[in-house]
Amino acid sequence: MASTLKKIILKSCDGKILEVEEAVAVQSQMIKNMIEDDCANEEIPLPDITGEILSMIIEYCKMHVDGENNSNNELIARDADFITRVDLNTLYYLIVAANFLNVKSLLDLTCQRVADIIKGKSPEEIRLTFNIKNDFTPEEEEEIRKKNAWAFDYKD
Amino acid sequence: MKVGIGNISKRVGESKLWRSRTRCHIVPDRAPFESKFVDQSPWANLPPELLLDIIQRVEESETAWPARAVVVFCAAVCRSWREITKEIVKTPEQCGRLTFPISLKQPGPRESQIQCYIRRDRATSTYLLFYGLMPCKSNFLGTKFTIYDSQPPCDSIIPLTSQSNLRFHSKQVSPRLPACNYSIGTITYELNVLRARGPRRMHCVLHSIPVSAIQEGGTVPTQSAFPNSFSEQLLPLTGSRGNEPVIDTSFTSLSATPVCSLGSGEPLTLKNNAPRWHEQLQCWCLNFRGRVTVASVKNFQLSATGDPSHSISLEEQEKVIIQFGKIGKDIFTMDYQYPLSAFQAFAICLSSFDTKPACE
Repeated sequence: MASTLKKIILKSCDGKILEVEEAVAVQSQMIKNMIEDDCANEEIPLPDITGEILSMIIEYCKMHVDGENNSNNELIARDADFITRVDLNTLYYLIVAANFLNVKSLLDLTCQRVADIIKGKSPEEIRLTFNIKNDFTPEEEEEIRKKNAWAFDYKD
Repeated sequence: MKVGIGNISKRVGESKLWRSRTRCHIVPDRAPFESKFVDQSPWANLPPELLLDIIQRVEESETAWPARAVVVFCAAVCRSWREITKEIVKTPEQCGRLTFPISLKQPGPRESQIQCYIRRDRATSTYLLFYGLMPCKSNFLGTKFTIYDSQPPCDSIIPLTSQSNLRFHSKQVSPRLPACNYSIGTITYELNVLRARGPRRMHCVLHSIPVSAIQEGGTVPTQSAFPNSFSEQLLPLTGSRGNEPVIDTSFTSLSATPVCSLGSGEPLTLKNNAPRWHEQLQCWCLNFRGRVTVASVKNFQLSATGDPSHSISLEEQEKVIIQFGKIGKDIFTMDYQYPLSAFQAFAICLSSFDTKPACE
């Protein structure tokens, strides 16, 4: 089919140009919409996505297109392999980019990964993991702790 | 024609992405944000709709305690996480699960029961309510029910129990706290006619729940937070016996104006399902569906009752709204559902302990 061979040109914010087969590119609902609106004939600038992140997303989409005929279990295993190789900072940019490009399966995969990382952690462990500032006053924090003793006492 | 991203119609959430104004770097772990966020990793800037998606996944997968504590922990990370987590967590009526302490004051699910345990400590006359765990893992839920009996409940939505209205068989427990107490219900026990060892009749009028709650399309007033706190408050829920009030609640703040909510409408009335006499076993029997294993005069099941004018469906009248019974020495099960809250159910169960001497 001629249409599947059509290339879509994506340009990352750091100027990297990537040529992607249309079948791979349309894993992104956003790009798919652009193609349908006939707006994807020239390079598509992606101002918030670096070349590194874009390459990973294309790798992921390609994996899904190539694996279309694979069993579900195989795809799940590949997804797991893909996501566990991603460090926490990269994971953030992947989520934001997957959300922007609207690659639903990747967004699910990345959000689920973060959820799994959160599970079993105390508030302090969550803050340390994601480097989030505790903006409660000491009094508020003490109150939360006290009022939710059933959760905190168990953890301690 | 060159089309920029700005021309593409975006999902609602996507527009927020642009506000984070991520600077483009090749190496993503160099803080790409404005100075305000310079000391934080990018995660502090995660768009709220994505954080919501993530915490929702945590909430949906951790349905059982103690793992579910992580949902409470998400609400303790920082302000934005707290706001989003509280938005996600639904009432027990909606999701069938207990999460924050306020869950205890909210009605249970309509089509299933929340299964709890009550453990009695005879030495201290203390009753501990457990949820989701067998009592061997003791203090988990129990610790939150420590005894406070000097502070009145201040609850602007659902009136709370008052000792003065927990009336037991010809025995009036006098209120220890003069102000700020509310009647949630009156429970009366009647001995059977012969005053013999046999089933007693139980009659429970819940002043805080209108009978319309169980009519078709009915609802019950539901609290979303404890009053007078920047956040929800823990409800120290305690039962004690002896000279102390049977049930007492306390809040750390006292300034809420008490309001009795059940304006119009008649209160919901519950009565116990009559056990049948089992000839072979020579005892009274009730089907507790495996949740009660030891015979006791304290065991009971309550269902809604009312006169025909209340138009309570037969289905509703047959539904067991709360059941309580013995499963071992000082261990009991307490299963409840809509329109009762754990708090109200616990109060009803504690009354069963207190009447025991009168019925044997």
